[in-house]
Amino acid sequence: MFDGREIRGFAGDTVASALLADGEPGGFVSPMSRRPRGVYSSGVEEPNAFVEVTAPWFEPIRPATMVNLVDGLTVQSRAGVGILPTTAVAPRPARHQHRHVETLVIGGGASGRAAATITGGRVLIVDEQPVVMDPPPNAATLTSTTATGIYDDGYVLCYQRDGGTDVFHHVRAARVVLATGAHERPLAFVDNDRPGVMLASAARTYLERFGVLAGERIVVFSTNHSGHDAAGALAAAGAQVVVVDPATRTGPATERLRAAGIEVRLNARVVATDGDPALTGVTVSAADGQRTAIPADVLAVSGGWNPAIQLARGLGIGLRYDEQKTCFVHDGSGPEWLTVVGRAAGNVPASFPLWVVDEGDDHEKYVELQRDQTVADVAEAVAGGLTNAEHVKRATYIGTTIDQGRTSGVLTAEIVNRLLGWAPGAQGPTNARPPYTPVPFSALAGPDSGPILLDPIRVTPMDAWHDAHGAVYENVGQWKRPRYFPRGDEDMGAAVARETRALRTGVGVLDASTLGKIDVRGPDAGVFLDRMYTNRMSNLRVGSIRYGFMLGLDGMVFDDGVAMRLADDHYVCTTTTGGAAAVMDRFEEWLQTEWTDLRVYCTSVTEQWSVVAVGGPRAREVVAAAGADADLRHDAFPFMTLRDGTVAGVPARICRISFTGELSYELHVSPWHAQHVWDSVMAAGEPFGITPYGTEAMHVLRAEKGYVIVGQETDGTQTPEDLGMAWLVNTGKGDFVGKRSLVRSDMLREDRKQLVGIMTDDPARVLMEGTQLIADATIPDPPAHMLGWVTSSYRSEALGRSIALAVVEAGRGHIGNEIHAVAGNETVPCRVADPVFYDPEGTRRDG
Amino acid sequence: MVDVRSPLAHRAAALATINAVEVPFLTQIDVRCGEAEAARLGFPTEPNTVTGDMARGALWLGPDEWLVVAAPGDPSVVADGLEALLMDTRHAVVDVSRNRAVIELHGPGRLAMLASACSLDLDPAGGWVPGVCAQTLLARAQVILQELPDATRVFVRPSFADYLVDRLLASS
Repeated sequence: MFDGREIRGFAGDTVASALLADGEPGGFVSPMSRRPRGVYSSGVEEPNAFVEVTAPWFEPIRPATMVNLVDGLTVQSRAGVGILPTTAVAPRPARHQHRHVETLVIGGGASGRAAATITGGRVLIVDEQPVVMDPPPNAATLTSTTATGIYDDGYVLCYQRDGGTDVFHHVRAARVVLATGAHERPLAFVDNDRPGVMLASAARTYLERFGVLAGERIVVFSTNHSGHDAAGALAAAGAQVVVVDPATRTGPATERLRAAGIEVRLNARVVATDGDPALTGVTVSAADGQRTAIPADVLAVSGGWNPAIQLARGLGIGLRYDEQKTCFVHDGSGPEWLTVVGRAAGNVPASFPLWVVDEGDDHEKYVELQRDQTVADVAEAVAGGLTNAEHVKRATYIGTTIDQGRTSGVLTAEIVNRLLGWAPGAQGPTNARPPYTPVPFSALAGPDSGPILLDPIRVTPMDAWHDAHGAVYENVGQWKRPRYFPRGDEDMGAAVARETRALRTGVGVLDASTLGKIDVRGPDAGVFLDRMYTNRMSNLRVGSIRYGFMLGLDGMVFDDGVAMRLADDHYVCTTTTGGAAAVMDRFEEWLQTEWTDLRVYCTSVTEQWSVVAVGGPRAREVVAAAGADADLRHDAFPFMTLRDGTVAGVPARICRISFTGELSYELHVSPWHAQHVWDSVMAAGEPFGITPYGTEAMHVLRAEKGYVIVGQETDGTQTPEDLGMAWLVNTGKGDFVGKRSLVRSDMLREDRKQLVGIMTDDPARVLMEGTQLIADATIPDPPAHMLGWVTSSYRSEALGRSIALAVVEAGRGHIGNEIHAVAGNETVPCRVADPVFYDPEGTRRDG
Repeated sequence: MVDVRSPLAHRAAALATINAVEVPFLTQIDVRCGEAEAARLGFPTEPNTVTGDMARGALWLGPDEWLVVAAPGDPSVVADGLEALLMDTRHAVVDVSRNRAVIELHGPGRLAMLASACSLDLDPAGGWVPGVCAQTLLARAQVILQELPDATRVFVRPSFADYLVDRLLASS
């Protein structure tokens, strides 16, 4: 269906060829001036005939010359501009495919096929047409496939659409042959945009490929022998043909036409067209100025040929002007692996140098059909001082079209040259960049779209349990971690209050499997870790655990975690969930580039171990009931030590680490056993009311203790000293990454922002994270002096009020002082506090 | 009764639709050592190749890194054996059996399916034949690929395994 009217065609027809076969050259309008327009070309250079496809797929705009007929196809004409639907539509399904070949031939015409035949190894021919004739037996072919861009080292993207699913091919070729042919150029004359005016090559293509004779009375306005040859073919098919040739002398093509009885008017030009609106006749001016009218229903125009080397221009190849052919051809430069052959290499007909017919009003001579831009518009841009074709393009929008200026680019450049009094070819067309033809975003995305596949979702072995128990998730890097486990109609606040209460008064369990883990081995492991962390790790006793900071070279906190010493030459270091890969990269970078003498190897074991963290005053009883074979009593198993043993009948590394301030045991177990251990802990904890908790409760619990989260309290501008953790920095142990930066004058400034607690005067008021802090209750006029900002803010169940952490200028010197938080146009009165809100003596940690 | 679960046990039906199975509980040992020691152990020194057989093979991962893959069993037996052989040399032997899930793809279309999400040359004509391996990205997951006679193994971090199955289903 075209604009609600049924059209029929044959297999292989395009919407454009079917319309022409239906005797309908027009049916389109231009976007700005709403002038009637018709099919102008037979390929990607189409500037007039655009359609919206609504069935069997949706596409807002596409050239009618590039839409193949299929059963049930429904299209509407579009005036050069697509309209996005207001409701969601299913995109064309698309997938990607990577292919590697020794030779990729772009273009399956005679030159491309010849190049493919003489090459060895894997050969691939891609062509934008649905058929490649007689492909060489040694070559694979992809039809209906457009090479949309050539990139470094023979990487070529090809977009294929000939079936139900679009395929975006990523081709890597040792050699690329560009056999992309050439595009015919129109001429600028009065009313050259009327339906019925088309490129001569298009008229010939419709005849020879689609069996459609576009008109009965055809005038061919041609500067070169290809237009003449088209005239001969059209006449042979039964059309009445007159050729208008600006050349003064006859040539072989003219002689051939005259021998066939076809009228050729030399030294003549088309100066106007008539029609209502479709073409009914053309006015031709002879050398002596005499005008004659010729009835015609098609005016076929050939103003010369432009080699189609847009794809290679992205590689920085050069162009030179060829005076005989009146076009820009490849100057032979470019990468060694690229070969240009055939018409793309400049094997195009010589052409009489004509771009604009002088007679008539320049406002009626169209240069860029899709943007309704005329010779007068170009002249206006030049009169405004623009001399560069790139500037004229941006002033007129010529060449910013779907066809990317294929018909208008060289013509525009030559008009500019002429207006400036420059020689033809003084400057060439604007640059060409990928994509060669438009590519839908849906094809670029391929399957990597939607909530499941847009980005990997990483889950732990206990994820199915979390999901079944109503977990509300939080994204932590690519991980999905349970944020809280609501019961009944609990909101987050109620769930987190219950979960934190369980931790402080009973027992809770957290899936901490996402923590990064790096196995560090070798005789120099201790030396290496001393250089990576701010504190000493080499004197850690086997079986013990130590918390540490890693700094950037700038002295700022980069990541934190613990080092567990398993043997003299063996540690496992934990990292933050989001920092695992970055820390591993940093370890390898220093070992591989700076300290190649250190006998140390690092291996990522993040997923070798799942972690079930049991915490709370009853944790010891629960871990014992879950079948831990270790002596869990504090004297036998002190804080920050570990035991390798078993829990629930499976091997487990039990670590006494606490991120909550409560007695805690982290059970590091095989992921294959993780659900078993989790289930065992839940069963053992049932009499104690064990409560699974999520990251939000964890955040509240650690904030009550003033424990920082790298990336929440820090943003890459905090030193250990800023965080009140200078005790973690051992400057006596030798060098470590970031050490030298810690004594820069800026690091020693007394007004650096320091980590503090913030208590709102109103205990019910919970500040927004990111809230700015100022000295006075009234907000001063800008620029207001901002003392710092809130980094974490929660309601604390244990304290029965709100708490916040913040970084504040010289904050530790202001503890107890008044400060004001900015909330919109108001301020909230607060006091600066010690960041450790709960159990500052640490009495709860050992149970 | 200990409930032992492999990372993709719950995706067996989905994997079957793309002619794939999980190979669970393989022993995997990461070995770091010098090339001379590796050659002495029979490890490949040609990049991206594999020596050994299904019972026990060694995949080249880097100039000083190999992955020993053996039949399911107690990984510490394999690791201790390697430790003994590498004693007194600069080395590391780390059990990573649980650090990667293993998917085995069958059928003639398996390489085209992988090539829909992997930029390497996975064509036998380009050298992708039994006995080769590679570390690469499959869609957005880091993987090790290993070509076997009539099958391809994909080693992937378990946390990415569900994503990878979904992604392969989408492109099959």
